[in-house]
Amino acid sequence: MDRNYAFSGQFCYNPGRMVLGRKIALLHLNKDSVEILPIPLDLRNKFLGGRGINMYLLSQSYSPDLDPLSPENPLIFGAGLLTGILGFGSRINITAKSPESGHLGDSNMGGDFGAELVKAGLSHLLIKGRSRKPIYLFIKNRNVEIRDAQKLWGLDTVDTQRIIRQELGDEKIQVACIGSAGENLVRFSAIRTGMKNSAGRTGMGAVMGSKNLKAVAVRGNLDITLSDPKNYLKYYLRTLKKLMNSKWVQALGRYGTPLLFQYANAMGFLSIRNNQLTTIGEQGYALEAEALEPFSTGMLSCFGCPAHCRHRFSIEEGQYKGTKGEGPEYASIGSLGSKLGNFNLQNILSATELCNRYGLDTISTGSYLAWVMELFQRGIIDQKMTEIPLNWGDGKTILKLIHQIAQRKGFGNRLAEGAFAKRIFGEVSKDYLLDIKNFPIEMTDERLPKSFALGMATSTRGACHMRSRPSLDILGLPEKILKKIYGGRVSDQFSAYSGKARMIWWHEIFNALCDALGFCHFLTVFSSPHAPQYNEFSKLIALSTGLAFTPKELKIIGERIYTLERMMLVKDGITRKEDTLPKRYFEEPIPEGPAKGEVISHEEFDGMLNEYYRLHGWDENGIPKRKKLEKLGLIKKE
Amino acid sequence: MRIEVNKEKCSGCHLCEMVCSLFHLGIINPEKSAIHIDKDDLDTSLHTPVLCRQCKKMKCLNAERLKMTPERKKFIWDRKRAECCPFDALPILGEEAFHCDLCRGNPRCVKVCTPGAIQIFK
Repeated sequence: MDRNYAFSGQFCYNPGRMVLGRKIALLHLNKDSVEILPIPLDLRNKFLGGRGINMYLLSQSYSPDLDPLSPENPLIFGAGLLTGILGFGSRINITAKSPESGHLGDSNMGGDFGAELVKAGLSHLLIKGRSRKPIYLFIKNRNVEIRDAQKLWGLDTVDTQRIIRQELGDEKIQVACIGSAGENLVRFSAIRTGMKNSAGRTGMGAVMGSKNLKAVAVRGNLDITLSDPKNYLKYYLRTLKKLMNSKWVQALGRYGTPLLFQYANAMGFLSIRNNQLTTIGEQGYALEAEALEPFSTGMLSCFGCPAHCRHRFSIEEGQYKGTKGEGPEYASIGSLGSKLGNFNLQNILSATELCNRYGLDTISTGSYLAWVMELFQRGIIDQKMTEIPLNWGDGKTILKLIHQIAQRKGFGNRLAEGAFAKRIFGEVSKDYLLDIKNFPIEMTDERLPKSFALGMATSTRGACHMRSRPSLDILGLPEKILKKIYGGRVSDQFSAYSGKARMIWWHEIFNALCDALGFCHFLTVFSSPHAPQYNEFSKLIALSTGLAFTPKELKIIGERIYTLERMMLVKDGITRKEDTLPKRYFEEPIPEGPAKGEVISHEEFDGMLNEYYRLHGWDENGIPKRKKLEKLGLIKKE
Repeated sequence: MRIEVNKEKCSGCHLCEMVCSLFHLGIINPEKSAIHIDKDDLDTSLHTPVLCRQCKKMKCLNAERLKMTPERKKFIWDRKRAECCPFDALPILGEEAFHCDLCRGNPRCVKVCTPGAIQIFK
């Protein structure tokens, strides 16, 4: 493949087994060609790894004309710079142009897959083309083999992993794969690994399906050498101790993300019935973290994570007896539960597990189901089209529709088009899909927390909480502490607009850096002011790779990644007018509950946006200024 | 002194394996560690940390007459000894096996085990 386009004329640094020695495999499935190349030091210095290098690679072929389901769309896997070593997460980003939104696609995944890839000596895969028949890749210690996957086609995401392990005779193999949803090009299908871990958002599973690529299996046991192993270990242990003393991490290890559900419900920023309401009061107890305990069979960790925030569950009796798996996360409880008016926890567990098996994103699945349920409620669509009544909270219907979507059968075939189904449901339907940049909002309602609202509006992958959500804002920390973190005044009031642009700008840059390192947001300053951030990152990078970055230089890398993403959106014609929120947020005050009356003011929102653009160095239309691009090295100086 | 295992608490994070190889060999390679997590991550069964039990009668040494020689406390052993362990507790990679030396009295794996699945028993 185009090795020239990827790394032309750059200095290649190959320090053997070091962290920096991880390579990239370039694959072209039309030609069955595989090439393994070192990653140039210059590229590492500019983008580190993970999401950073993924964005550099995507930007090389990104254009408004690039069809996300065409062979030309590159599917990029990128493990973080520090994935697979003692750090604060071991994550991987999967990136391509999104078939769900039609714009930038990117999804971050936990589990053990990213770490296994780096143990096999690689950090990135760049996959182009389309195989004529179903295949899977087997990567073992830098050797890439293309194997027949016809027998795997149609299998769910857990069976696929199991059968690959059996076929290759190694239980330690880690697999990232798609299920029927990805094979059937459902626009919001996920790539999955393990029982639950998913690169769920933006439809990366459909891109994989469009390439006839069922799975990527990896196995590695190469040594990873560090620059200063003795001091790295010492420093890691010290930082770990500090992190584990934070209340947030302790609570996360006990309850997992479902603990966030009760905050959202109690404060009134939860999505109920497609955001027609934002709290369910005491009814919410049925979906809180403690309600999960009778089904929980322990807590799990992703590779190398000290927090262990993942539940595993088993339903032992009743209608859903025999269902077992991992999760659910707060996002799935909200999306397949409260957002659909569904307060039956056992049904939610089953629906989540069904999505995982088919390889569907639970968040988008819930969002599109909520959309059509509201269309049905309002008589915009009827049973002639849907075949079955779509009533709020009807668990049986939810499960049926999940089957239909993944198999593209009946009404599910229309739903499988995601936001593109607007053209099927008609003009009036558009107002009831709460989307941003053709990508649906999630399990929360952002009319109360103005920081969250801005973050959704500006996120580079469409409505998304993981690009910037400052969960710290929930804690109501004193302004003195907020100023110390964010470098300027930020209001300590959750519903205020003042200073929130600064908060979002700061987290967008910081989260981009975390994703480039492979760190988990939960183990960083995302939710606890005591968790590791720039200073700690700088030290961990230096002791493991020998690369010296000051905290300020790391911030510039985060900014470079985020701005490059923005430039791809600008190519699509996205500017200020698309950095907005659903109509409901501006026009319908929250009708009841603790956040009653909250609504977004156009004027105040515009003010936040102006401040946000100024901080980023973008013009009033949200287009990065030439001077900023030059400073970040994204264009050459004139 | 030995390390006691409570498998109910193991989250399967592999931090113990990484820290073991880093402390003893200055590299990260979970397979070159004296502890390993036995797990099926496609099932909801328990994860089990497995490592040397510090038996008084060391069947692993079989007929070898080593008594208190330094060899008994070494980290890297020959795989033949590991094959004699009745608990299959010593990880093997190639011709080498990895034997827990308790980090010379300050086990690092215990320090990183945040759920408390492995603890020092004196």
